[in-house]
Amino acid sequence: MINVIKMNGMKKNIHLIFTFMICFACFNVQAQSKLRVKGVVYDKDARDPLPGVSISTLEPKKTIAVTNLNGEFAIDVAPNTVVLFTYIGFVSQRVTIKANQTTATVYLETDKRALQEIVIRGYQKRTREETTGASTTVLAKDIQDIPVSNVEQLLQGKVAGLNIQNNTGAPGFRGSIQIRGLSNLSISGSGSESYLQSNSPLYIIDGVPIDADKAAEYGFQTQGPGVSPTSLIAPEDIQSIEVLKDAQATSLYGSRGAFGVIIITTKRGNSAVPRVRYTTNAFINSPPKLRETVGGNAERSAKIQQILNNSLSEGDFIRLSNTDFLADSLNAYWNNSVDWQSVFYQTTFNQTHNLAIDGGNQTFNYKTNLGYYSEKGVIKNTGFDRYSLNMNMEYKPDNKFRFFGALFGALGQQSKGDGVGILQSGVAANGQASSLLPPPSFYQATSSVLSALSTTNSNNSRNLRANVEGRYEFIPGLALTSSLSYDFTSDTEDTFTPAAANNQFAKVYAFTGRNYTLYNRNNLSYAKNLGSHEFFFSAFNEIYKKGRQSSIIRQEKTANDQLQGPVGFDSYFSRGGGVLDNYGDERIASFAGAFSYNFKKKYVLDLSYRLDGSSLSGAEDPYSKNPAIGLRWNFYKEDWFVDTRWLSGGSFRASWGRNINPNGSLQSLYGLYTVNGNYNNNPAVGIVYDEIPNPTLKPTTTDQFNFGFDLGLLENRIELNFDTYFKLVENMLEGRGLSDMTGFNSVLSNDNSIANYGYELSITAHPFKPGKDFNLSFSVNGAINRDVLTSLPIDRYGQVIRFDGNRDFSQHIVNRVGRNTLSNYLRINQGTYANDADVPVDPYSGLKYRTDGIYFQGGDPIFKDVNGDYILDDADYEVAGNSQPLFVGGLSTNVTYKNWGLNVYSSFTAKRTILNNALSDRLAIMRDPFALTSVVPLQNLDIWTQTGDVSKYPNPYDYGRYNQIRPFRKDQTLWAEDGSYFKINNITLSYNFDKKLISRLGLYNLRVYFSTNNVATFSSYSGPNPENVNGLGRDNSNGYPVPRTFNMGLNLELNSGK
Amino acid sequence: MKRIFIYTVIGVGILLSISSCNKFLDVQPIDRLTGNNFYKSSDDVEASIGDFSRKLYEKITETQFMGATGEYRSGEVLSDPLVRGNPTRTPQNIFYIDKLGKNKIIDVLNNPDNLWGHYNFGSITDWRRFYEVIQGSSILIEKLDAGVPGVTETMKSQYIGEATFIRCFAYFIMVRLYGDVPYYTDAFHIEPLPRESMVSVMNKCIADLESRKNGMVWAFSEPAFRGVRATRSSAIALLMNMNMWNAGFDLANSSKYNQATVLLGKELVANESQHNNRLLPIEQWSTVVGGRSDESLFEFYQSVNYGVSTNIYAPISQMFLHYPYKSPFYDWERSSAYYKASYMETIYPQDVADSRKNIWLVEPYADNGLFNFAKLSGVNVNAGGIGSANPDNSYIFFRYADALLMYAEALANEGNDIDALKMLNRVRLRAHAPAFEGAGAELKDFIFLERSRELIGEGVHYFDLIRTRRILSVTWTSNPLTADQFARGGWTWPISNNAIRNNPYITLTDYWVNGGI
Repeated sequence: MINVIKMNGMKKNIHLIFTFMICFACFNVQAQSKLRVKGVVYDKDARDPLPGVSISTLEPKKTIAVTNLNGEFAIDVAPNTVVLFTYIGFVSQRVTIKANQTTATVYLETDKRALQEIVIRGYQKRTREETTGASTTVLAKDIQDIPVSNVEQLLQGKVAGLNIQNNTGAPGFRGSIQIRGLSNLSISGSGSESYLQSNSPLYIIDGVPIDADKAAEYGFQTQGPGVSPTSLIAPEDIQSIEVLKDAQATSLYGSRGAFGVIIITTKRGNSAVPRVRYTTNAFINSPPKLRETVGGNAERSAKIQQILNNSLSEGDFIRLSNTDFLADSLNAYWNNSVDWQSVFYQTTFNQTHNLAIDGGNQTFNYKTNLGYYSEKGVIKNTGFDRYSLNMNMEYKPDNKFRFFGALFGALGQQSKGDGVGILQSGVAANGQASSLLPPPSFYQATSSVLSALSTTNSNNSRNLRANVEGRYEFIPGLALTSSLSYDFTSDTEDTFTPAAANNQFAKVYAFTGRNYTLYNRNNLSYAKNLGSHEFFFSAFNEIYKKGRQSSIIRQEKTANDQLQGPVGFDSYFSRGGGVLDNYGDERIASFAGAFSYNFKKKYVLDLSYRLDGSSLSGAEDPYSKNPAIGLRWNFYKEDWFVDTRWLSGGSFRASWGRNINPNGSLQSLYGLYTVNGNYNNNPAVGIVYDEIPNPTLKPTTTDQFNFGFDLGLLENRIELNFDTYFKLVENMLEGRGLSDMTGFNSVLSNDNSIANYGYELSITAHPFKPGKDFNLSFSVNGAINRDVLTSLPIDRYGQVIRFDGNRDFSQHIVNRVGRNTLSNYLRINQGTYANDADVPVDPYSGLKYRTDGIYFQGGDPIFKDVNGDYILDDADYEVAGNSQPLFVGGLSTNVTYKNWGLNVYSSFTAKRTILNNALSDRLAIMRDPFALTSVVPLQNLDIWTQTGDVSKYPNPYDYGRYNQIRPFRKDQTLWAEDGSYFKINNITLSYNFDKKLISRLGLYNLRVYFSTNNVATFSSYSGPNPENVNGLGRDNSNGYPVPRTFNMGLNLELNSGK
Repeated sequence: MKRIFIYTVIGVGILLSISSCNKFLDVQPIDRLTGNNFYKSSDDVEASIGDFSRKLYEKITETQFMGATGEYRSGEVLSDPLVRGNPTRTPQNIFYIDKLGKNKIIDVLNNPDNLWGHYNFGSITDWRRFYEVIQGSSILIEKLDAGVPGVTETMKSQYIGEATFIRCFAYFIMVRLYGDVPYYTDAFHIEPLPRESMVSVMNKCIADLESRKNGMVWAFSEPAFRGVRATRSSAIALLMNMNMWNAGFDLANSSKYNQATVLLGKELVANESQHNNRLLPIEQWSTVVGGRSDESLFEFYQSVNYGVSTNIYAPISQMFLHYPYKSPFYDWERSSAYYKASYMETIYPQDVADSRKNIWLVEPYADNGLFNFAKLSGVNVNAGGIGSANPDNSYIFFRYADALLMYAEALANEGNDIDALKMLNRVRLRAHAPAFEGAGAELKDFIFLERSRELIGEGVHYFDLIRTRRILSVTWTSNPLTADQFARGGWTWPISNNAIRNNPYITLTDYWVNGGI
């Protein structure tokens, strides 16, 4: 015993830990006094020594030693003894000690089997086989090699039940993310800009909760940079991402875990010698195929032809003569053929660099990651740059005390052009400009072209986050962990629109915002192992203090393009500003307790309870209660499976949990009071008689039942996870109109509820036995989610039609109890009238089917006359389609052969209705041949051109009756298409250089790879991209196209001492 | 031992942190006042009470409320066909007065050719503002019952009294306008209710205010509150009015209401030393209409000095004044409206001395726009003598003369002619008119006429006709209703269609739904 300690030459206090553990084990062995073997245990992948690996003999089953801090061990065993090296998170390895052996080097391999995976529950590490909830872990290797601005993009298709739609290609912006279906039905905006309120999961980055939605509160009309904190993390720095799905797993995170929890762990220092790793990507983003247009004289001829064929009166001929851009083809000004789309779209070259330095040992380790990401948008004048620095260090002098500190700083710099990032309306409008117009130059072009291209827009989002965590173990098993973090974000946006782009007067807009979160968590845990019984208690409290404030200033008409300020106030030119209404000051105090028990790791019971108090709920009863229970049965450990060699894992899980999310505000609970001027020369203050305060307002409750089944076959070469769930979201807020005898307009009630139920399955298979040279793994996952609206306020009689106020769209949404939650409410298109005689005639009046005073005729769309009155009006709508996808999932294949590697990731979404508003816009370009808009070729579409044609699309050329018939009105099922798609997300081909070869160059590791992102989408959808649609399934021609990326990258590690 | 110690320390620590948590969670928003940080002092309560008056003041100044509801419908007022000089004041767009005089309210509301849109009469049909005040005062009462820091028991009963007063006042005004109305007094009421019989509504209001009245002060020491904030005298005045309203409709119990009114009147007169409310000399009339006078029992005070600008069409004085109260002469040679000479002969016989004739009226028997209503000229006439602004009068709802006459009326109804004469003659003597001697029915009729004389132009006359049922007789009005019209609600105002929305129980008034005939 003493020998071991001396040999190590370590400080005494550190030895004591090990002395205690090894003491017992060695005593008996030494008595037999056989053979002394020394050696080192390494992590096979990282090549680092592994401290704390326990070494045991099989006969008898007894631990005989533990490796020291340098991974070294010394054991005394009889020759030909089999010793077992075990370490949590690694595959145990058996080593037979031969007769004359004195040294042994052991490489332990990371355990990739799911059951031994380390997962995090309520800030505590557990192995997966001891947990009862549903979660999926994505490792660093699954999200490397693809340069993206937001790491969420790379999770698409990798986690069953996680629905990610990368529905914008705008650099730095997020797509949509949803765990297990809909959690609200709150919609803002109208038309293609209808925005389904985002309910992102709660992100926990290195133990610090982060609100990913905080940049998106105004929907598509986001003010300020709109850079989500998740866009500021360098993907290269991520160690693992765990997605918690069911309520047992999330309830410990309380109210904010109601929409699921995503835990991101960044890399830690883990190398005896400093390790320097560098990753770079050089990538090309290319815009997708753009709309085809007809250019130059062909455009002019097409327009003239359209007028000649479809004019309703002689006046149109006179108008044609007076329309100079059509009539005067010799005029140099009109004699152009400009490809307007190429003015806005570009192919860009971009790069990323990431440098990671780490090192340390069990006592002290450190990590620094420096990242740079630069992406220029495929739409000119847009782009995103990210600079990030993430440092952490851990000091653990002994098993009693641990200290961890981390510092994260990032700057996201974004240019949105003159759009709002996700929407580029200026670009969209000008993409439709006539090719006859002269090309843009500073003095002769439409102001919106200049606006799109020369608006100076600079957005900065600066995020600083510091956290420290200390842990102290009072007595074995009882530990106190305390964590403190501060997260600060400062956002600015500066936009300067030059005079030529804004009716000859320059314009200044500035936005500043800041928000902070101060967070503290104190956790007391106690673990007790009584032989077969293991107990674990944990109690913690969390305190948040959050605040935010942002303000804007807008000034029209500054002196000239050179002067951006200072500008003074002027009642005519100033557009006001000041603090925006998202001002916030919130506090949260939570208390949680968790209890876990397992019997021989066979039967596991989890109980947890959390109280969440929020200042938004008012002081009277600020606490909401989140209970959960989970059970797990690891049946493969039962005696009757002992001899079943093919079964390597198997368990059943069942859980129930509740997340309660207070969604009221002080205002909705207690009413808002306002100063209404003076009465009798004293201030008069009264309640605002709009929304009656509802002191009985209940928080939104999410109840979730989960049943899971895990199976590992053939030494885990086939792993299967199945989950089924029922999630009931109740007490969602719904405004209800009041009788005017109450004096108020409306009351917030709690009567909406949605149920989601579904199935998730994921299978991972290694068809061949893992070999030295060749490895193949294949995995597939899929999830079906159905949502049903289960209740509405009683006075709505089971249905609410949310009429779209924008008459150009009128794409209404209906919420009907018993159906899927968000259905479209549209006119039913039943084809096109082949000829005039097909139009039905009212047998009573003898009048033909008509609308807006105009009779339908051949070439017009057949709109279903729902109420049978032979008039198409506001009554002729029906429920049609579901904007939410039913089925999402993904596939991945990883192959390695010697030094080569190939990864292919793909994803799919099926059964959702999308509304092809882009096609509607495209066809509607033809509505006015006198307008300076482009002409699009329609030959490839099934359109009506002459009497007798049976076609899908109506006659687009009949401009005279367009405004009454509105054949391309958006509120019709003609645009409702199936949005199913299968997408090859990315393909990576990599080559690892031989270590010996590169060591001459001073390198330890060198890997090159080629990857493409957003490779191909297969879909029956007639529009460009079925994924590039908003949360309500509307394809917006103002949207930002998703580019295709071709990348060449390099990983390099210096040989710093190995 | 060690463990027990550790657990104890930790347990105590957790308990301490939980108990201090509620304080931590109580965030006072700095950007808005919510129910969580309002009602924190007596100032907040007074600001809230001020807001109720301000709301009702806004309601009655949205339109020419007093004239349209209380004066013109009796048919004694006609518009002058010869007015000139101002596009907003032509014979056509003041013709609504004659329409009201014929009870053609639907025509007035339909407003053909948008002649009198600027008078905004539609707002009278919308009761929402009254209910806002009712909700607001109920909320205030709830908050006061729960306790407001810095409010003593005395202050609390006064505040609750004031809130109850304004709530009952709103119901009273509504009952006079619409007849049956939904009634509730719980705070944050959201359930739709049907219209309730107005007798029952008034009875509930009487009970409500009676229970609170005695907690109220007789008078405020602060002169700025005189007549402006409700006192016990105001409550008595309102209670008398509500009782006398029911006396006219709940005929089976009318004696009960008369007796109640007598008791209230007795209480008011017996405590004159306490409240100091009194009849001011007729020569000081401008002090009364200016507001905050000892004669005022409840009013909505307004003053240009406080920078309040009022809708120019709201005061009744807009219709009855001309040069020299309004200028220039060319535009304001004549008043828009006048009381018919025959009616003036009835209430102010030429041969009976009465200072009111001289002080309040100029050319009372002109029978045309030369009629000038100096009673309404009040103070600050056209901001110094030039212009068409209205005099800076307050909107007085209850004053001492009204209370005395109501007391007299109740006494006479109960057969106590001697005391009735005492009260009646106090009002007459103040006007330097000869004391009345008479009894029985003659006395009752004379009290009615005295109210018409004393309260002319104050928006009371039409309601007196209704509650005494004199509206059914050509003897008393130029615009009588038949008993059938009366029963179907011909005396009410139509209720806006808004009232049906989200309320399946509301039925609109028969008379108006059927076209107002």
